[in-house]
Amino acid sequence: MIIIGENIHVISKEVSTALKERNPTVIQRLAKEQTEAGADYIDLNVGPMKKDTEETMKWLVNCVQEVSNLPLSIDTMNPVAMEAGLKHCKKRPLLNSASGKKDSKEQMLPLAKKYNCDVVISVMTDKGMPPEVESKIESIMETVAYANELGIPNEDIWVDPIILPISTAGEGQRAAVVCLEFIKILQDVLPGVKSTVGLSNVSNGVPHHLRPILNRTYLVMLARNGLYSAIADPLDKELMSLMKGELSHVTELIYKTMDGEEVDLTTLPEKEAAYVKTARVLMAQTLYSDAWLET
Amino acid sequence: MEYKAPIEAYKGVVREITIGRGEKTLKIGGENILPFHYFDEGTMPNPPRFALEVMDMEPGEKIPHLLEPFGDTITDPIKWAKKCETFGVDAICLTLLSTDPAEKDSSPEEAAQLVKKMLTELKKPLIVYGSGDEKKDAEVLPRVAEVCTGENLLIGPVQKENYEIVGKAILDHGHIAIAQSPLDINLLKELNVKLCKFLPPERVVIDPLSSPLGYGIEYSFSLMERVKQIGVITKDNMTMMPIIANLGSECYKTKQAKENETQGLLWEAITATTLCLAGANLLVLRHPETLKLVKKTLLGGNEKWQS
Repeated sequence: MIIIGENIHVISKEVSTALKERNPTVIQRLAKEQTEAGADYIDLNVGPMKKDTEETMKWLVNCVQEVSNLPLSIDTMNPVAMEAGLKHCKKRPLLNSASGKKDSKEQMLPLAKKYNCDVVISVMTDKGMPPEVESKIESIMETVAYANELGIPNEDIWVDPIILPISTAGEGQRAAVVCLEFIKILQDVLPGVKSTVGLSNVSNGVPHHLRPILNRTYLVMLARNGLYSAIADPLDKELMSLMKGELSHVTELIYKTMDGEEVDLTTLPEKEAAYVKTARVLMAQTLYSDAWLET
Repeated sequence: MEYKAPIEAYKGVVREITIGRGEKTLKIGGENILPFHYFDEGTMPNPPRFALEVMDMEPGEKIPHLLEPFGDTITDPIKWAKKCETFGVDAICLTLLSTDPAEKDSSPEEAAQLVKKMLTELKKPLIVYGSGDEKKDAEVLPRVAEVCTGENLLIGPVQKENYEIVGKAILDHGHIAIAQSPLDINLLKELNVKLCKFLPPERVVIDPLSSPLGYGIEYSFSLMERVKQIGVITKDNMTMMPIIANLGSECYKTKQAKENETQGLLWEAITATTLCLAGANLLVLRHPETLKLVKKTLLGGNEKWQS
C-alpha cells in the first residue's frame, strides 16, 4: 500500500499559521516525521490558496524538499497553485486532484500531461457525486477516456471513488460498501489504472478517539479489494503495521467478517473484537452509531 | 405460468411491551413482520394503539375546535383525562407541561403527586411525558418514578443528556422508558446502546420524534420505517423496540391545523395514519374525532382488531 502522508493540511491551525508566516519549523517537522514513519508520498494540502499563490507554493515545496526525499502530492483545487507546486517538484509528483468536472478536465488534466506526473482523478462530475458503483464506473470511464486522449496513460491515473463519512445517517454505511465494491471491480473495467482514497474521511464526524480504528479497518478492507494507495496518517503506527502485514491475525478477522462468517466475539481479546465490530459496521452488517464498539 | 407472490420471513421480532399493571394494562409491539405486511410470514399481534394527551395545566394557546370536545374539563387534568376515557382510548398521555421552567416551573413533587392521584382515578394505563427540558426532567421524572413505584408507567422523554439519572429511576422503580432522540437513526441507536447497558431492552420504547404533515413528516416516516427494517429484517437488538409517535400536539402547532376544525382533524389524522404505516405502535393524539377517524381507517377492516 502506497501511503500518501496527509498531515500537512491547511485545515490544521499550525499548518495554516506556518504557511502565512513562512515558518519552516512546523512544516519540516511534519515532513520529517512522516518520512521517518514510512510514508511514500507527502501530501501538501493547501486548500484554494487565493493569495500569494506562486510564492507560497514555491516556498512550501522547497521547504519540504529540504528535509525529505519523498515525492510530493500537490493537493489543491486551484490550477494556478497546482502548477506553481508541480513545477518546483524535484521528483515526479502526484497531481491531487482532477475530476470529471468540466473545469477540472480543461485546467487540471493538461497540467498532468505538461508536467508528466501521476494524477488523481475522482469520480466527481458537474452533476455531483455518483452514488452507486455503476454510476461511479460510468463517470470515471468517461474522464479516463478524456485523459487518455490528452496522452495520459492509465498507468499514470490514480482513481478516487470518494469516501464519505460513515456517520452520515442512512447513507454513510451504504457509501462505504459501494466504495469497497468499486475498488474491487476497478481493474476489470480500467486495466492498468491505480487507485487512491482520502481514507480519514470515513471517520469524519466520529468522536476523535474512535477515528483511528475505523480508518485502519477500512484500509485493510480496501487493500484486500485491490486499493493501490491511500491518503492517510503514517504516524498511526498500527495502521502502518497492518499495511506491512504485521498483524495478520487482525487482518484475518477482518476478512472473515467481510465474508460474512460468524466470528464469536466472546472468545476474542478486546482489541480484536473491536476490529470485528468495526468491520461489521463498515460492511453495513449492523447499523452504525457512535457507540458501535460498546455493543 | 401462474404468478406466485414472494413471501418474506424475517429474523427479528419487535419486543412486546406491556404498559401498566393489574386490570389497567396495554400491550404494544410484538410483530415479526414489517408494518401491516400480512402477506409475509409472521404476525402483528397488537394493532397500533392510541392515547389522547392531556396537560397538567390549562393550555396557554386556546384553539377552540381542539378544546371544544373536552368542555370545561381542561382546567382539571384528572377530569380532562376521565373525559378522554369516554372516547375509547387505549391509554392516557399526561404531559407535565407546568414543570417547564418556561411555563410555571412547578415542582417535581407536585407533578409526582398529580400522576399518583391520576393513577388511582383512571381506568386506562398512563403514559407520562416531562416537559422536554432535559435538566428539569432529570428532577421531575425520577420523582414521578419513585412516587409511583411498581406502576409500570411509560415515562419519558429519556434523552442523551439525562438518560443516566432518568433511566436509573425508571429501572429502580419498575417503569418503562421512552428513549427520545432527534430524528437520526445513528443517534437513536447510540442512546439505546447506552441506556440498555443498565436498563433491559424490554423496558425501552423508542420516540424518534414525530414531525407533522408538511413540516417534515418525511423524516419521521423514513426513520420509523428504518427502525422497523433494521429491527425486523436484520434483527438489530437495539432497534427491536416498539415506537411511540407523540404527534397530536405537534400537529396542532401548525398553522393549518389551527385554522379550522376539518383541517385540524385531517392534519392530525393523516399524520397519524402515515406514521402507523411507517411502523408506529403507540400514537398520542389530541382530538377525539381524529382518534375515531384513524381507528376506523386503520382497524375498521380487521375483525380481529375490532373490540
